[in-house]
Amino acid sequence: METEKQVQRLNERLTYIRDIFAGKDSGHIRLLDAKTADYAQRAPGLNARERRALALALEDLFADVENKLEADLTPMDKVRIVRHPQRFCLRDILENVYDGYTEIGSMDDHSIDPAMVIARGFITRRRGKRVTNQSVMIVGHEKGRGEEFRNGGSAKPWGNAKALHYMKVAETENIPVHAYVFTPGSYPIEDTPGAAQQIAANIYGMASLRVPVIAVISEGGSGGAEAVALADRRLMFSHGYYSVISPEGAAAIEGKPGPGGRVPAELVEQCALRMKITAEDNLRMGYVDQIIPEPDLGARPYHYDFFRGLRRELLRVTDEVSISVRGLPLFRALRLRGRRRSAAAGRDFESSYVRWNLPPSAQMRLVSRRHLKFRGLSLSAALDRTPLSRRIASVWQEACWIIYSRFRHDMLQKRRQKVSEYMEEVKSDWTLFFERALTPLRKLAAWFGRASERMSVETVRTLTELSEWNDTQENQRGGRWAYISAGAGEDRAVSCPNAGIHGCLDQWAPDLYGEFAGVCPNCGHHFPMEYQWYLHNVFDAGSLVEFAADVEAGNPLGMEDFGAKLEASRKRTGHKSACMVFEARIKGVRLVVAMLMADFRGGTVGAAEGEKFIRAAERAGRMRFPFFAYVHGTAGIRIQEGTNGLIQMPRCTMAVRRYIDAGGLYIVCYDTNSYAGPVASFLGCSPYQFGIRSANVGFAGPAVIAETTGLPVPPHYHNVYKALARGHIQGIWDRRELRFNLSRALLTMGGRNLYYR
Amino acid sequence: MSGKQHRILIANRGEIAVRIIRACRALDLDFVCVYTVEDAESGHAHAAAEAGPEKRLYRVSSYHDANELLAVADAAGATAVHPGYGFFAEDYRFARRVRQRGRSLDFIGPSWEVIRALGDKINTKRLARSLGVPTVPGSDKPIYDEMEAEKFARTIYEFQLQQGIERPVILVKASAGGGGMGIEEVHDIDLFRSVFRRIRNYASRQFKDEGVLIEQRIRDFNHLEVQILAERGAGRIVHFGTRNCSIQSTGLQKRLEVAPGFDPSAVRYRFDAAALLAKVTEHSLAMAREVRYDNIGTWEWIVSRDGAPFLMEVNTRIQVENGVSAAVSRIRGKDGTDLIAEQIRTALGEELGYDQDDIGFEGVGIEYRIIAEDPDRNFTPWVGRIETFRPPERDWLSVYTHVPSDRPYDIPTEFDPNLALAIIRGRDLEEAEARGREFLDALVLEGTSPSGDKIRSNVAFLRSMTEHILMF
Repeated sequence: METEKQVQRLNERLTYIRDIFAGKDSGHIRLLDAKTADYAQRAPGLNARERRALALALEDLFADVENKLEADLTPMDKVRIVRHPQRFCLRDILENVYDGYTEIGSMDDHSIDPAMVIARGFITRRRGKRVTNQSVMIVGHEKGRGEEFRNGGSAKPWGNAKALHYMKVAETENIPVHAYVFTPGSYPIEDTPGAAQQIAANIYGMASLRVPVIAVISEGGSGGAEAVALADRRLMFSHGYYSVISPEGAAAIEGKPGPGGRVPAELVEQCALRMKITAEDNLRMGYVDQIIPEPDLGARPYHYDFFRGLRRELLRVTDEVSISVRGLPLFRALRLRGRRRSAAAGRDFESSYVRWNLPPSAQMRLVSRRHLKFRGLSLSAALDRTPLSRRIASVWQEACWIIYSRFRHDMLQKRRQKVSEYMEEVKSDWTLFFERALTPLRKLAAWFGRASERMSVETVRTLTELSEWNDTQENQRGGRWAYISAGAGEDRAVSCPNAGIHGCLDQWAPDLYGEFAGVCPNCGHHFPMEYQWYLHNVFDAGSLVEFAADVEAGNPLGMEDFGAKLEASRKRTGHKSACMVFEARIKGVRLVVAMLMADFRGGTVGAAEGEKFIRAAERAGRMRFPFFAYVHGTAGIRIQEGTNGLIQMPRCTMAVRRYIDAGGLYIVCYDTNSYAGPVASFLGCSPYQFGIRSANVGFAGPAVIAETTGLPVPPHYHNVYKALARGHIQGIWDRRELRFNLSRALLTMGGRNLYYR
Repeated sequence: MSGKQHRILIANRGEIAVRIIRACRALDLDFVCVYTVEDAESGHAHAAAEAGPEKRLYRVSSYHDANELLAVADAAGATAVHPGYGFFAEDYRFARRVRQRGRSLDFIGPSWEVIRALGDKINTKRLARSLGVPTVPGSDKPIYDEMEAEKFARTIYEFQLQQGIERPVILVKASAGGGGMGIEEVHDIDLFRSVFRRIRNYASRQFKDEGVLIEQRIRDFNHLEVQILAERGAGRIVHFGTRNCSIQSTGLQKRLEVAPGFDPSAVRYRFDAAALLAKVTEHSLAMAREVRYDNIGTWEWIVSRDGAPFLMEVNTRIQVENGVSAAVSRIRGKDGTDLIAEQIRTALGEELGYDQDDIGFEGVGIEYRIIAEDPDRNFTPWVGRIETFRPPERDWLSVYTHVPSDRPYDIPTEFDPNLALAIIRGRDLEEAEARGREFLDALVLEGTSPSGDKIRSNVAFLRSMTEHILMF
């Protein structure tokens, strides 16, 4: 019986190795296979001692081979490791790391989204005889072992909502959050809420969560990972991966296999390698803070030493985060240094005690630390080609602005109120006095001449003669646009896609793209327009001032032939990145605008775009301008930048959060097609989001949904009307009224913190 | 312009199509007609079918579909499009599209720039004011600001009081509106603000433009029109006198027109009518010259009770009532004026061939629009089958109709129920009125509706209105 169990266990190990290497390195596997079979055959005939010796030798052989194989693990092998059913999952961590836990609504397939597990756990610490239970909120994906209802750790939007809810609970209870990331990606479903919408809400919520958050990443796939992984410290298992997209997905985009086609396995391997998805790569780039070592070929549930190590690291890191923000600065530093030294000496933290609940001042410090931490990431991935002189000038300018706005808004504004009240009183007294003094004179004048009653020639003239009127942009009557789309130059008839439903007549291109602004006059369908149309027709003429134009999209992972593609995009569009940031005016109100344009690499967001977006948000905050994000189109995060792109999701969201918390007004407007990462973070988190008619807003495109979920995608699945129905956007705007609506929004929304209030 | 080198596509239906066909025949021009299913029995379709063995009739699904009309023009090898009135007549986009096509297709009407410039009421008003042409007192630009609007409204109020108007009325209308939408009267100046807000909200909702116009409301006015004709390339410009179109149905649709506009020899006015007509004509011509007008068009005026004229708008097309002006004018050397023929001739680039001095005016013309509608029920259109339509035959009368005289005709419900135009000529107003009554009495119009009711028409209404033509 004993032997059979052992053989079975060894076979499982062997299967594991075989699965991970997917047919490679057959020599070692064949050897192990032969030895195991040999053992299984010989063992029944041996006595206990011999059997044990043989078993030990075999175990050693396994360990030896595993150790050898470990040395040449490729990134794709690691992907296979984290996806293997034998890998440990969140449940094992709950059992082995925490001293006790209660699962909260994720037991079985009756619970709401069992792919997201919430548990309230505690870790026991002993100081001599005193025993302290320190509570934590545990949030994480549960892959399960082949359980269908767990969905392989793909959390649905309501699962993410659950996670956010319990993080808020943790905030109320003032206990730290431990977030575990075991997800290949979010489940791409558009419901109420939609996937993107909920992830954006999560990131936005976590950006200012006032308790320590520690994230541990095993499988970090794209937006699904970001939904719980915004943390003060990010740990990563040595055999995990953290990436913007699965290697298969990247290969599908690179290889373009077409519908039903298959991508060659070599390309997938290559993509996994080039995207730099392993723990070491991410540590080097700074996106994780620390690696938790695993046994050879990855930890499995029976590696108890590994769990002990994990527990130790979690304690240490949670302590560190708490210590680093509480107490007086000097003591803080001393205490941290002491702990570091004892950690180096290999001392245990079980017996020391650090309070994990934070006083309000420490909470504020924690949040601002978190902002700074993310602000500093991925800076080297974007190429800032701004000349030094201009950089110095802009620093100087910024400093001036800060001083000015402090003076103008914080000091003067409050005083001005009082002064104006005082002035009004004086004025009313004066007029009263004046009226009384003048009354007799007036009577006299009225008695003398009645000429004053007759209307002056001047007044009549205003009624009958030509008045002054500057009929420019203010009045776009009759479709007189400042900028006419290039499509208006062609002599052709354009059919409306809704002709079958609404019976729209074909439109002549010069009419359609000229006066009609690309809108079908019958059904209101919006044909796509180039971004220049908006630049010239929405904002006041000549008011655009671009800044940070020299921040250039780079190729941080050194992908071959991607540099050439970027160069081609730069040449074609004349821009250095897909994001254009500028100051502009709408009917005199100044605002900062960030625009993502679909012309540059599909409007994808990489490190440069994120950097520009953050600079725009910061500028808006500094100058107390409203902040408007116009999304001409975005296809998501730029996968060629790997994690450098992915990190823009939390980075930009935190910048936006900071801006909004400071009293700013952040408005987002989607046009054409807006999908994936940006929508699921810094765009989707705005409280005021609007869609241009006929636009599509969502998480993943229809093809991706069909492939991942295997369900048929209904027509118009991402249409703005659907987005409105599920509460993602708050309104649908006509392109022709964008200027009008925006100016009204600026005047009616936004608090007293804006400069024109 | 000889022979068959021109081929005109008539992009219209009914009575105007019949008249354009007649004009084409008179000018010896080839033509092509379009018709829809509902109009298969209409007179214009028959006239085109009977014109010759060549294919002259094309079926379209709608008169509104520019693509289809242009496809017909290509298929038929047309060289010019006549839009008639309604449909595409004042659509500058259509005109531009026709003119800007790669091949030589001509639009019979003014240039599209002119149509656009004069199609916008605010633009027209501002143009008029810049030339010193009188317009209705009020704003000539959209007003957005409430305070400014109220100040302006009070000025108009005072202005009317100064003129001796006891109960001034102010008109508030959406600048982007038209056809009676978004327009309201203010009788009490203290209620102005609420009306202004209401109209502004309506305008912002309906027309995406919050602009509001504020004007004086002119009461009891005469509606006067000046008929203008200009050569291609902005050469000579002549006028064909004035018309009075004051008698209208409740929906402000014209029902009866008289030329000339005022007749001082028959009616005593409170003002110098002859001088007024001269002034109005002169202003219209000046404006036409300024915009380089290059085809037929009508300047519409309103004349207040005291004889103050105000330019209202410009119609850049042939009008329904062009026949009544033609009836009282005579071009030297021609025996009968056909303004449609003149329009086509000039649009095709031919010279006018005469000056203003060559146009003489004599007698009085009255035009009746015979329409199947019920004047007692707010001029609701009547639908049914016309069994007999037989106008009397007189040498002072011409009747234009698309209703066939030899067989029953079902009035299509898709279009306006206009049946016929009758133009009566007389030496003076008295004779014209007498002949008008005679015509209306002798007209035979019989028909039944699907429910068996007898035909309802405006003949009796026209008869009663004939008593007080040329008011004031």
